Amino acid sequence: MTLLVPILLVPAVAGLLCLLARSRRVMELANVLAFGGTVVLGVQLLHEVLARPDHVVTECGDFFRADALSAWMVLLISVVSLGTSLYAGNYFRRDLADGALKPGQVKEFFVLTPLFSAGMFLVVLADNLGVMWFALEATALSSVLLVALYNRSTSLEAAWKYIILGSLGLALALFGTVLTYAAAIGKTSTTLPSFSWAHLISVAGQLDHRMIKLAFVFVLVGYGTKAGLAPMHTWLPDAHSEAPTPTSAMLSGVSLKVALYALLRFHILTAACLGTSFSRTMLLVFGLGSMCLAAPFILVQTNLKRMLAYSSLEHVGLICAGIGLNSPLTIFGALLHMGYHALTKPVLFFAAGNIHQTCHTLQMRLIGPGMATMLPMTVVCMGLAAVAATGLPPFGLFFSEMTVLNGGFAAGHTVVSLVVLVALLAAFCGILYQLVRILLGTPKIKRSTNAAVRGGVPAMGFMLAVLLIFSLWLPAPLLEVMQRAAGIIGGRQ
Amino acid sequence: MNFPHSELAAQWITLLAAGMLVIQMLMVVQGMLLTNIRLFALQSLMLAAIAAIIAFFHNAPHVYWVAGLTIVGKVFFLPWLLNRQVRRMQIHQEIEPLFNSTASMVLCGAFTLLGYIVARPFTSLERLGNNTLGIAITLLLTGFFLMFNRRKAITQVLALLTVENGVMLAAVALTTYGMPLVVELGIFFDVMVAVMVLGILVYRIRETFASMDVNKLSQLKG
Repeated sequence: MTLLVPILLVPAVAGLLCLLARSRRVMELANVLAFGGTVVLGVQLLHEVLARPDHVVTECGDFFRADALSAWMVLLISVVSLGTSLYAGNYFRRDLADGALKPGQVKEFFVLTPLFSAGMFLVVLADNLGVMWFALEATALSSVLLVALYNRSTSLEAAWKYIILGSLGLALALFGTVLTYAAAIGKTSTTLPSFSWAHLISVAGQLDHRMIKLAFVFVLVGYGTKAGLAPMHTWLPDAHSEAPTPTSAMLSGVSLKVALYALLRFHILTAACLGTSFSRTMLLVFGLGSMCLAAPFILVQTNLKRMLAYSSLEHVGLICAGIGLNSPLTIFGALLHMGYHALTKPVLFFAAGNIHQTCHTLQMRLIGPGMATMLPMTVVCMGLAAVAATGLPPFGLFFSEMTVLNGGFAAGHTVVSLVVLVALLAAFCGILYQLVRILLGTPKIKRSTNAAVRGGVPAMGFMLAVLLIFSLWLPAPLLEVMQRAAGIIGGRQ
Repeated sequence: MNFPHSELAAQWITLLAAGMLVIQMLMVVQGMLLTNIRLFALQSLMLAAIAAIIAFFHNAPHVYWVAGLTIVGKVFFLPWLLNRQVRRMQIHQEIEPLFNSTASMVLCGAFTLLGYIVARPFTSLERLGNNTLGIAITLLLTGFFLMFNRRKAITQVLALLTVENGVMLAAVALTTYGMPLVVELGIFFDVMVAVMVLGILVYRIRETFASMDVNKLSQLKG
């Protein structure tokens, strides 16, 4: 039975069908059904990967390949896309009622979002590093039009920065990919060296060392830009704050991690060729840099969605640092963190979207205190998600952060772990301080209660419920896939 | 390598790669937008010629595809698209750079030096021509310089395309046969779509700001 091709085709076909569809309901339904389908397929893929003797599923003559790491990413992409499509219908209905968007623009969203997801699925399922590159470029191109959807001067600016920085980064990544390819020449039996990751990893020891080193530097800067690592992150807060809220959720929830996934594939290859110390140190430095930079920016932000964007930067930094620490425990913690963050951050963005549509501003000063009386359900969801995102129990991010820190201290990286701890605490204070100021207290700004936006609660509830269930109970297959994925990253196949 | 005429091929490739570098330098000092677009088309033509020479001398027919795609896409289609956009929007012709042409030239000389220094340890790995990797890295660096030196949206698109030319030159120079066809095709279509998406954005920026000056894109901070 084929699994990988349907995972790619279902969202792509849904996107193209939306192009033909006339009614908005049909488009919403097509999106929800497509992503519901990919969630089911993703779960099947997870079981299939575990059932195979070598824990790898390949299709189309090894063109598509899914190991435990890919299966884990497929699950994240499909769950976040599903949550987003559940939220999007309601969100755009209100935007249309407000006159903020025209029906054509809403259609653009429902066509491009499944294509964006299909691109991300291709990134994680392609075995060929070149295909992985152009799939990543395709995700950038489909999401940039989404960022520019509102056509305001600020959203055009954000989109322009995003596409220019993203394309430059991707050009560098392509250069790194070419260098990797060149490093394999003469090392394989065929005249044309293979672009296949699985093949390259099997001959990793023989690859040209200097070439691989140079390649990793280019790839790190290149894909690092797309993953939003500091100091190449400058597009990130702009794009996240100016995009329509469902797109912000997708960008922050999975798109950053998909770019990080591409980087990890090269990290694994470089580690297998040169030993772990080179690439792992680079990841650690960029990860810690991102964390330390994000924390102060969270404290001084005046725009709600920009603050959430900086919080994403901090979480990506933590994931990177966890992998950079390179002990089995920290890598496992980083993967766990990827999953929990993907479930938490969209809820925060959805709630911010509701607040945005109620108050017609994202400036926290103008939103003012006392949103809780205005939007009780939204604020409850946002509060819970904020508690989760800042790493408080009983939510999973607490456990994943503890796992990373624990692993770091146990592996003897005391200083690094302390830096991580301080950055996490600073972000914790920043987010809670900022949110408490707008959510609680007595309202100072008079607004009519008719303006209050009540939608989107099912989508937020869905994500929070999934988060809570998987925080308290990790099913055995999921645990095994993550352990195997951590094994792949740590070089213990 | 025991290819027939491989010495001749290597000389042609070196010459054409050097030509690409010279054109890049001309773009750095040239102030007219339409001339810049023509220079880019010429540079792409040289890239296509390099690919064709490789295909001919090394019996690698699939590299003809690369040459053909480059000619169709980068020599004709993209310059035509950019040209049309420039004319339709009646963009002010001159490019107002941050650095004047003398300073730019000196800086780009320094970039060339840097490119050669970075490429030096790898010259033994080059399979075709001499110093092609050095030129590729130089194209990358000067492309970045062009991007921040020129503050117009269309010139930034052009700069991005020259960076892409540099990467493709490296791909050809380091690997003899270029990359597998599926990858080449993917890259080709991505570049085409990217320029179209950028075109849409340029158009909307022009509509909204009544200007193509990216310095006006400065409302988002922090």
